[in-house]
Amino acid sequence: MARPAVRIQVVEFGVLVGLALLVGRAVQVQILHGRRWAEEAQAQRTERIVLQARRGTLYDRHGTPLAVTQETYHVGIAPNELRDPTADGALISRRLGLTARAWQLALRRRYAYFAGPYSALEVQPLRSVRGVHLEPVLNRFYPDPAVARATIGRLGDDGLGASGLERTLDSLLAGRAGAAVVLKDRAGREYESPARVIAPPVPGLDVVLTLDAELQEIAQRALDDALRRMDADGGDVVMLDPGTGDVLALASRQRDGSARPSAFTDTFEPGSLAKIFAVAALLSLRRVSPMDRVSGEGGKWRVLGRTITDDDPQPSLTMADAIRVSSNIAIAKFAARLTPEEQYAMLRDFGFGALTGIEFPAEATGRLRPPSEWTRPSAASLAMGYELSVTPIQVAMAYGALANDGLLLEPTLIREVRSAGGGVRYRHRPEPVRRVVSREVAAALRSMLRGVVERGTGTEAALTNFPVAAKTGTARRVVNGRYAAGEYTASFAALFPADQPQLVLVVKIDNPHKGSYFAAQTAAPVTRSMLEQALAARTVALDRARLSTAAPRAAAAPVDDDGGLVPYVVPWPYQPDSAGVGPRRAVPDVAGFGMREAVRTLHRRGFRVALRGWGVAEHTWPAAGDSAAAGSMVTLFADPHAGDRVRARGAAPPRRGARR
Amino acid sequence: MPRAKGRHWVALWLVAFLVTTWLVYARQTAAIRAARELGDLRGRRANLDGHRADLERRIRAAESRAVLVPRAQARLGLHLPSDSEIVLVPAPSGSR
Repeated sequence: MARPAVRIQVVEFGVLVGLALLVGRAVQVQILHGRRWAEEAQAQRTERIVLQARRGTLYDRHGTPLAVTQETYHVGIAPNELRDPTADGALISRRLGLTARAWQLALRRRYAYFAGPYSALEVQPLRSVRGVHLEPVLNRFYPDPAVARATIGRLGDDGLGASGLERTLDSLLAGRAGAAVVLKDRAGREYESPARVIAPPVPGLDVVLTLDAELQEIAQRALDDALRRMDADGGDVVMLDPGTGDVLALASRQRDGSARPSAFTDTFEPGSLAKIFAVAALLSLRRVSPMDRVSGEGGKWRVLGRTITDDDPQPSLTMADAIRVSSNIAIAKFAARLTPEEQYAMLRDFGFGALTGIEFPAEATGRLRPPSEWTRPSAASLAMGYELSVTPIQVAMAYGALANDGLLLEPTLIREVRSAGGGVRYRHRPEPVRRVVSREVAAALRSMLRGVVERGTGTEAALTNFPVAAKTGTARRVVNGRYAAGEYTASFAALFPADQPQLVLVVKIDNPHKGSYFAAQTAAPVTRSMLEQALAARTVALDRARLSTAAPRAAAAPVDDDGGLVPYVVPWPYQPDSAGVGPRRAVPDVAGFGMREAVRTLHRRGFRVALRGWGVAEHTWPAAGDSAAAGSMVTLFADPHAGDRVRARGAAPPRRGARR
Repeated sequence: MPRAKGRHWVALWLVAFLVTTWLVYARQTAAIRAARELGDLRGRRANLDGHRADLERRIRAAESRAVLVPRAQARLGLHLPSDSEIVLVPAPSGSR
């Protein structure tokens, strides 16, 4: 037996050899094959994932969200991981809405995948179930899917904008996806690590539309009611602010219930709606004096081989009479004083035959043929609104030019573009296209249109206390290139109020089957109904301060005559809404304030406050530093975590009173 | 001071190895637990967001004219005012 010293030396030698082997293997693994092993380990323990960027939110002009992005889930089931397939299966089937057969099929697979997407509420009880794997995915969500569906559009399966504004604004809304590495454990479960974000996702920009959700609802309901009552093939309603070109509401509906954006894409012959544009040319070129009269020809006039008729024959008519009673004969006679080039130029100047430039992916130009393509009766036809096809949005903008003292503006659906932090990246300013007629001519035309509602074909649209200017149009419909017997388009264009108009409304009813087909009995009452609802609505973008002076009869209106009905109550002193013209003031910066103090600060500056969210004030609309009319509504956005973001942006730290 | 024998060195190395291994294990365990909690919190936040969105949708639906107008008419006997029933009072000059 060896001595202890020898034994120890043997052990030490063995340890040394072992260590040498270990070091050698370590060198082999770490240095010689290090890269390969590192890559293999990385692949086993980590996975690179794409971090979806939050798509920007679409808001209406008052900050009501119309399209938002939310986290939803795809669900994967690993049947062999389930602890209790029967009990778990019942829960999973109930939450995912699976039939018994679908669940049985899923159990036979190694890994069943249900794309859904399922909401967080639906999958919440499944989070604790072993064998259920949730894959979060951001999804587009429309809080009220019926509101402005055609205008807002939808996303395609690829997550990109497929139609409507979702498509037009895709590059702004989409943001930029990021990337991260997640850790995986032995069972393949993934763990996110904040330290392993390679590139953070950049959220998309938020877009504030010009649409007014309440006006939009009024327009949609009025149109739906009208189509149902008249059994019509379809229709459109356009409302816009003539002073800015802001489109406030757009409703389109077809008989089958679908909602194509026909206000942009479908053309129609405007009929008598276009008479006012011939008059605009005659007044601008001074070819007619207000006292000039033409014969009404007893309601039937044969000219150039065709017969022109009037529904309301008059012995003789001035130009104002021609508009008031919508006389085809008189307008054809007056329009003969224009050369084809002059008539064409005026229609072109009002925007017909050209794109309006609105931010929508599809827009029809309509048809306005140049004089070189006209036939002999073309001048008379165009004066009466035939041989011309237009879209409702074109008509609205052309009437908007009359309301806007002769200045044609570019229509817009976009009011502001904001970053995720609330900073304004773009704010729409009215874009003048051209001056079409002088202020004086525009005023004269509005006066004629006022006569239509007071004593002419548009009396059904008259309001008791507010003057309205409007024009009716009833035109035969073209089907497959020919005028279809008994088919008409009833349309109505209105300026409200007649003086300093704040709203332009265009209503078009396609082929009403029940009752009258005349616009005076179809589209005009719809317009009145919408105006009354807009007046009674709380948040609609009307400047009631100006309206109150536009209704001199209102003060003298005998309230007691209403048989005890309670009138609409207006707060006193009256606070004009966001369209107000009161003295403009800078909106204070309340970012980081507690809500109570933020509201107090805004009140002290004379603003009304609408709250969105709770917690710490994050930003306001209009933004801090912007000017807004005293008494107008400022929307205050708050969030419990806003304080951190405000500090990160370098804004003023929360002041006293800030609390969560 | 007595000189440390070979077995002591072996024991020392073994203890050092065990301590290091335990530290690595503890750190990994804590990290995984934290990651799980993070995931749970994210899930809860998503659930609350979903709940809030659902409530907002229901509030908006309940506030819509399609719901409110018929109910106000049926239950309270109210009606949509005609324009003659709407009185706008002019704001006095200088008032906010």
